[in-house]
Amino acid sequence: MKAYLGVDVGSVTTKLVLLDGSNEPLTSIYLQTRGNPVDMIKRGLEAIRKQMPLEVEICGVATTGSGRALAGVMIGADLVKNEITAHAVATMSCVPDVQTIFEIGGQDSKIIIIRDGVVTDFGMNSVCAAGTGSFLEHQAERLNIRIEDFGGHALKSENPARIAGRCTVFAESDMVHKQQMGYPLNDIIYGLCQALVRNYLNNVALNKEIRPKMAFQGGVAFNKGIIRAFNETFRTEVYVPPYSELMGAIGAAMLVRHEMGSNGHRTKFKGFSVSQTEFKVSSFMCKACPNLCEISQISANGKVLSRWGGRCDKWERAEVK
Amino acid sequence: MAKVGIPRALLYYLYYPAWKAFFEKLGAEVVVSSPTNKTILNSGVSRAVADTCLPVKIFFGHVMSMIGECDYIFAPAVTSLGNEAYNCSKIIGLPNMTRALIPECPIILDPEINLEKGRYHFYQSIYKLGRYFTHNPFRIKKAVEEAWENNLAYQSVMFDEGLTPVEAIDRMYQGKQQPDSSVASAPSLTIAVIGHPYVIYDEYLSHRLIHRLQSMGVKILTPEMAPEKALYDAARKLVGIPHWSFETDIIGAGEYYLEKKVDGVINLSVFGCGPDSMMVTFVQHRARELNAPFLHLSLDEHTSDGGLLTRLEAFLDMIKWRERICV
Repeated sequence: MKAYLGVDVGSVTTKLVLLDGSNEPLTSIYLQTRGNPVDMIKRGLEAIRKQMPLEVEICGVATTGSGRALAGVMIGADLVKNEITAHAVATMSCVPDVQTIFEIGGQDSKIIIIRDGVVTDFGMNSVCAAGTGSFLEHQAERLNIRIEDFGGHALKSENPARIAGRCTVFAESDMVHKQQMGYPLNDIIYGLCQALVRNYLNNVALNKEIRPKMAFQGGVAFNKGIIRAFNETFRTEVYVPPYSELMGAIGAAMLVRHEMGSNGHRTKFKGFSVSQTEFKVSSFMCKACPNLCEISQISANGKVLSRWGGRCDKWERAEVK
Repeated sequence: MAKVGIPRALLYYLYYPAWKAFFEKLGAEVVVSSPTNKTILNSGVSRAVADTCLPVKIFFGHVMSMIGECDYIFAPAVTSLGNEAYNCSKIIGLPNMTRALIPECPIILDPEINLEKGRYHFYQSIYKLGRYFTHNPFRIKKAVEEAWENNLAYQSVMFDEGLTPVEAIDRMYQGKQQPDSSVASAPSLTIAVIGHPYVIYDEYLSHRLIHRLQSMGVKILTPEMAPEKALYDAARKLVGIPHWSFETDIIGAGEYYLEKKVDGVINLSVFGCGPDSMMVTFVQHRARELNAPFLHLSLDEHTSDGGLLTRLEAFLDMIKWRERICV
């Protein structure tokens, strides 16, 4: 059986999905990146190898997410795609009448506007991470509850506390103040969810025309509190697709399936043995000019595979020996 | 021979050939700071107040990099070039800020250029500037004429040949030809890049945006490549008489290129730019009205360019998708 592997290396989580020839997920894995993408990609590959049916043949591999270049070099990707395109492709196939996609991940959040099956506009958060998963995770930690229980608490809230969501620092002081005033935990938690949604809509979705049907995905779509806040804001049901957390990886796999199907190339996939390879990531300072760029390089078995991180393309162009 | 240092920042990109001609005609030697690099950025950031925008911080860095290498630093206070349009307060106050933040700076040549105050004021400012080098008013007049000639030549090089300011300056003084290898033989898309010249052409600040787009096979159009009058008219049509000097470069060029039906428009701004927060919104609304692809990129001190690349790639994908070329 032919199968296509999509790898989404995000800042907080790493996702791998294996799709069959009709875009159905055969198996998938969801891991915390924990600042160590190389190890997580290896562990993810190992897990996929163990879980997948025996007669599968990998015919194409695509990577996406902020670690897409690194992952692409490590495992030999046929396609390295940005996460906006990947998310749009995946969502449009499982929610054909979607017009707006909300995607909230660990470090960044996006909105994608779709009209007549084509992406017509998109937005991403700028410098601030106040509207993302890491904000919620941080606040959960402060409230001393597990992020997994966050949604449950939020659903029980009846009089949500109003919390400033413009900035993490403001939100935190506002939250502490509300705690001191004796607001119940559930109301503070749901207040935080509303603050996140408000911040998202005022920043990322600013000047975008939001029309139903709306799909909500990314890691934060696990959070029932945020779903409730979205639903109440729009007074309509925001749809959370199945495999919502894997959408980026699914989209990447779909794109590579399409590409391999049309160009007839053989895959560059290095095989599951990659999970046994010893990769070394190191960095050095380039002293060719006053920019003193930090060049990162990845090598396997003493052989440099790729370099990046320069202001110019001196090292990217340099012969990799 | 007196050495005049011109920081390679802010208005350098607009007027360098004119300035160079003026000072050289008066017998001075002109030195330019090297292109922005990490050292320049760091030293500028270390002095500037946090609220100023990155290009101004970079300007201070350029000034600091030239200490000991020149007798004068040229930092004009360009308040207005007429038509009731004004520069932003940070450009108007540039010489004073430089003096306050970098006390060890060489003598600052700080003519106030404000055409709203009339011709006489302008002549006086220039004459005062020229007096640093000569007492002969005719020589100063000659130098101004030379400067004007060079300015016209500079603008026509950019306009006629479709060159960016950096490329045009290279062409004028080093006879460098365009490296055509970086541009794919037949660009598949045409994209207008709008914004302040000191943002889009500072390769360090902009993370080589123009170069990157060109190597992705995109033909670039910038405000300098459009007729000035057309930009002014476009800005007037969209928002009325411009209030900011750069309004023609942003609102004008945005409207002009949107009307020209380019494949997409990218606006490059820096975080915290006051005028941009107004101007870009106008272009954004206009792009939506015309249903045209528009991308707003806001830059700050990031040294990692991952976020920028993701947005660029997605933007190009989106345009191709809309035009049904491919995904």
